[in-house]
Amino acid sequence: MRRVLLTGATTPLGAGLIRRLLGRDDVSLVVAVARPGEMPPVGIDDGRFVFVNADLTRSRGVRDVLWGPAKRANALVLAAHHRSVRNVGRRARLLNVESTRMMLNMAESHPHLERVVYRSFGDVYRVDSKQPAMIDEYHPLNLDPRTPQWIRDRVEADTMVSTRTGLSPLNITVLRFAPTLARNMGSQLYDFLDAPVCFTPLGFDPILNVIDLRDMVRAIDKALSNDVEGIFNIPGRDTLAMSEAIRRFGKREIGVPGAALSRLYRARARLVGGEFDYELNRGRFHWNGVLDGRRARLQLGFVPEHGINWPVGGSLPETAGGPFSLRAPAGSGLPSTEASPEPAVKLVR
Amino acid sequence: MARMMDLMTPMPRESAIATLSRLLTSASLRERIASMPLPDEGHGVDVFGLNREWVAFGVGLMRGLYEQWFRVASSGHENIPSHGAAILAANHSGTLPFDAMMLWTDVVRNTNPPRLARTIADHFVPNLPFVSTLYARTGAVGGSRANLHALLERGDLVAVFPEGTPGIGKHFRDRYRLQTWRVGHVEFALHHRAPVVPVAIVGAEEQMPQIGRIPVGSKVFGAPYLPVMLTPFPLPVKYHIRYGEPLYLHQSFDPERYADPEVLERAAGLVAGKVNELLELGLRERKGIFR
Repeated sequence: MRRVLLTGATTPLGAGLIRRLLGRDDVSLVVAVARPGEMPPVGIDDGRFVFVNADLTRSRGVRDVLWGPAKRANALVLAAHHRSVRNVGRRARLLNVESTRMMLNMAESHPHLERVVYRSFGDVYRVDSKQPAMIDEYHPLNLDPRTPQWIRDRVEADTMVSTRTGLSPLNITVLRFAPTLARNMGSQLYDFLDAPVCFTPLGFDPILNVIDLRDMVRAIDKALSNDVEGIFNIPGRDTLAMSEAIRRFGKREIGVPGAALSRLYRARARLVGGEFDYELNRGRFHWNGVLDGRRARLQLGFVPEHGINWPVGGSLPETAGGPFSLRAPAGSGLPSTEASPEPAVKLVR
Repeated sequence: MARMMDLMTPMPRESAIATLSRLLTSASLRERIASMPLPDEGHGVDVFGLNREWVAFGVGLMRGLYEQWFRVASSGHENIPSHGAAILAANHSGTLPFDAMMLWTDVVRNTNPPRLARTIADHFVPNLPFVSTLYARTGAVGGSRANLHALLERGDLVAVFPEGTPGIGKHFRDRYRLQTWRVGHVEFALHHRAPVVPVAIVGAEEQMPQIGRIPVGSKVFGAPYLPVMLTPFPLPVKYHIRYGEPLYLHQSFDPERYADPEVLERAAGLVAGKVNELLELGLRERKGIFR
């Protein structure tokens, strides 16, 4: 029987995973952790589900969860990261890196935890003209010191978890996901496409791979269902040119000489805000970088099944109102997040 | 305003490419390209960016050069395996890579069943705006080891130029003298047990005599230098492309020793020797640079 502790519960991925796990007979407990003040996903009414608000950037918070509601958990899914690229500094790093480190340190002395699945990102890889278009798990990581913190934190956390595989008493799997096209997921690609006009480097049209949320959920579920350790790339079913993604998203593409693009995006961020940061994506906007999923196929048995339902354009993707929504669709009869009066919530201070 | 926006669209849309390829390519060539088994990940491209419409466009774009300007004559297409992984290893020259373009076009036009050669480009090519996209859409791939493994694993026909940049940038006085013949292609051939087809391209070495180089220290799109050519455009030399019999190196050498430098030197020497033989034959048989 799996008893799962899940961080990052309030993202569309977290919500989808909770539902997926509760749909299984061999899962007897799902403890979902979110930051203080966040509400649980709507419409989950299951005695096996426990929602916890906790500050995982403090060791006390981590301890209270692990030895409190998650005392019986035997599997841990780490999926909490700052989603906003504007969250920088010590506080952001605490969640992105240090809380993961604390979780793993304490999980090693937990009475029942034996399995850890860490949600990582394809963004940790370096993409430049000298690197192969197909990115396998041995591909160089982006360790450029000039890289913005958003990437550095992800690389550090990924490396910190990855180096424990085989050394820790825990059975650890790291899943490096292709970008997804969903709001509230920290997807730079979504933030780029969500703007009315997409400025791209003139003369370049790289190939992208994107994953559907349902496949992300399936991949984590697959990892929880077996005991294979290691690092796995998790690509999606859609591989397409950037221009095609923009077209399918229903947006207008304008080519701008590469040297001016950085300034243009900085100016736009100052004027109208937005989450997209060109500096994070410079490599991926010039050169192909597609995750090679062979290892996941052979060892985890994961093959992407769900294509993106284009056009995604401007709202939650096809999953709006579906199994990943945080808000109930209009007329569904389900309460919205705000209106959810008494969810199965336990609070841990 | 809409017209203005269209002009600013960085790369032509697929439909525009399809229209252009219809204008530039004959119906029989389009049929040939349509019958090619090309990888497609579901949105018309493979992971390297190959697209069938762009292949047709590329063949159309090369038509004038292939038929009228360079008047390409080729022989030995039957030596190119009809399926499965294989490596074409050719001499490289001419300052600008028209030899690669003519080889690529010749393979598309003359192989039966039609195949596409995935040409391997130098590392600086993906830095070139527009060119990188055109190359990628027509099947060229950046020359990293993982890319080559991926192509050969799935059974593609790969075209390499083991002389690399020193080959294409060789001085006019060094024409038809092979530069250092690198060994990477034979390592891949042994590893994947893929045949190597030696290819000699006669004509390209005289197309654009290079008389000097401006060192730019990789500052211009990562290119090692800017060539100084005697002519601003290629001379209408006549191309002769000859495909030699395939070399099954894994039968002559122990494929398990694909990383052994001694084995690789000997195997690469064998391929270079065959290319040299074909070059000498081609030079003997041609009637002149322009004929």
